[in-house]
Amino acid sequence: MGSAVPARPAMAAAPHRTAGRVLVAAASLWWTLVWMAAAGLILAAGLALDAPVGAWLALPCFGLCVNLAAALGVNERLRRQPGLLVFHVGLAVLALLAAAGRLTALNGTVEVTQGTPFEAGHVEGRAAPLHPWRLDRVGFVQGPFSIGYDPGMLRRHTRSTVHVPVADGGWESVEIGDDRPLKMFGYRFYTSPNKGYAVVLTHIAADGASRTGAVHLPSYPLNEHRQANRWPMPGGPVVDLWLHMPEPVLDENAAWSFRLPEEATLVVEAGGARHELKPGQEVPIGAARLRYDELRAWMGYTVFYDPTLPWLAAAALVASAGLGWHAVGKIRAVSGDGDA
Amino acid sequence: MLETYSLFAGLGLYAAATLAALVNAARRRPGTGVVLLLVAAALSVHAVSIGLRWQRLDHGPYVDMFEVLSSNVWSLHAAVLAGVLLLPRLRALLPAVLPVLQILVAWLVTLEVRDTVFPVTYDTVWLPVHVLLGKAFLGITVLSVGGSVVILWRRCVAPAGFAALPSTKLLDEINFRLLLLAFVFECLMLLAGAVWAQDAWGRYWDWDPLETWSFLTWLALAGYLHLRVTVRPPPEASALAILAIFVIAFGTFFGMPFVSTAPHKGMI
Repeated sequence: MGSAVPARPAMAAAPHRTAGRVLVAAASLWWTLVWMAAAGLILAAGLALDAPVGAWLALPCFGLCVNLAAALGVNERLRRQPGLLVFHVGLAVLALLAAAGRLTALNGTVEVTQGTPFEAGHVEGRAAPLHPWRLDRVGFVQGPFSIGYDPGMLRRHTRSTVHVPVADGGWESVEIGDDRPLKMFGYRFYTSPNKGYAVVLTHIAADGASRTGAVHLPSYPLNEHRQANRWPMPGGPVVDLWLHMPEPVLDENAAWSFRLPEEATLVVEAGGARHELKPGQEVPIGAARLRYDELRAWMGYTVFYDPTLPWLAAAALVASAGLGWHAVGKIRAVSGDGDA
Repeated sequence: MLETYSLFAGLGLYAAATLAALVNAARRRPGTGVVLLLVAAALSVHAVSIGLRWQRLDHGPYVDMFEVLSSNVWSLHAAVLAGVLLLPRLRALLPAVLPVLQILVAWLVTLEVRDTVFPVTYDTVWLPVHVLLGKAFLGITVLSVGGSVVILWRRCVAPAGFAALPSTKLLDEINFRLLLLAFVFECLMLLAGAVWAQDAWGRYWDWDPLETWSFLTWLALAGYLHLRVTVRPPPEASALAILAIFVIAFGTFFGMPFVSTAPHKGMI
């Protein structure tokens, strides 16, 4: 018994010392460099391979968070100076939030035809592994939109009206555009420079069953002279669609607004045959018929999801305020004639 | 016409202030009153030119190189003036700092002056916030560049030079503290820029060339501050590091936005 008593503190201190050594090692500035280099390598690899690497960035972000937390644990000078303490805690939180953001984010694009509802399945983009996928809860109908251009093809303001469902079962019209996104269920929809024309077609099968949909033509005016697309008909051949616009919509040397062309003909080519259609006209293709209903516009959106966004801003602001507090004190100390 | 006259009058006054500061330094005269008055006069006259252009084009000096450089010539001189007024012991820095700024003045004179169109993505309150914070960062950094020039001058040219300024050791300490303050503005500038980018392009950070270089500037500054605290390099090494940081920051401010065609240019 007597010999065991002095041994106990030593046994308890050993793991304590090991934990301390691990903490000191984790706090090293070398680890800061290692994690930053890792982030740089991941970014460079993403650029070189054109691959989505956002989620991988969570690892160095998390590493930097641990590094900063360990530094706060072992460096008494950091803890003793409130401004520096707030700054480094803010940075650690920022790194942690950035890691969380990289694991849950979604970046995508979507095109919505005027007069039709947004469809989650049409979103093209990259979702992080832990993205909660609530896009199917988002609902809005694309209304009219306007995009102005100054002479010289300088794009001006974009104003897009969308109709969103409200609690009483009705719809509310909301104008978004430029720096005003539509926010729903954490997703942000920003108007993008992409917009164009949508050909609304009805496919009438041999048994009389009909199905209406829209084929989007390439973004206008970016692809002014390539207003064409291919569309595989249900159970039938692939048809080539081309919108012939005899009168130009835009004038490069004058101010103009995006609008539907006044006179446009849809050219349909299938199986070597060429047909020119006006709205309401139809053409037989194989056993089916294809009707050109009308020309509409489609609006392009950038879709963004990152639940950490406001917290990132808050952490960055708090960190900066902490460092500002520290820096002002340091500057004041040298503003007089005495030594610092 | 008044816009052009006031621009060149302002630039002439900056040059006169620099000349006066150099003459004072050559004659070992401590007086800086005339220099400060000339800088203040130059700022007032130059402000008239910037204001007239702002009123005529209905947007601030944010779009092309002429506007950005002109406003930075103004803000950097203003930062130097404010700096030496708030830290009177640094007044004798003027002959070291003002010649550096005249490089920008000379560059400005060579630029073609054209009317510019304000991009839609610039139409946000976050732009002036972002720009002002950036100007504060660069202005404070320029003061520490002046201190670094003096430290290196004393080491390489004349050990007793700039006698009216604090000792090399104290100047090194003041440089460090100035850069600490500059770092705060750099952090806030990046934050305001991220908020603007989120609104303008639907992403707060996308590693476009300008964002990457601003982050590298941040990294270089953070690295210097850590090294200064942990390794405590000699003042001459610190001075060289500060000059290197200034070169990176200068390239980020005046190089990348006009070299890159990334969205940051704001014209899409």
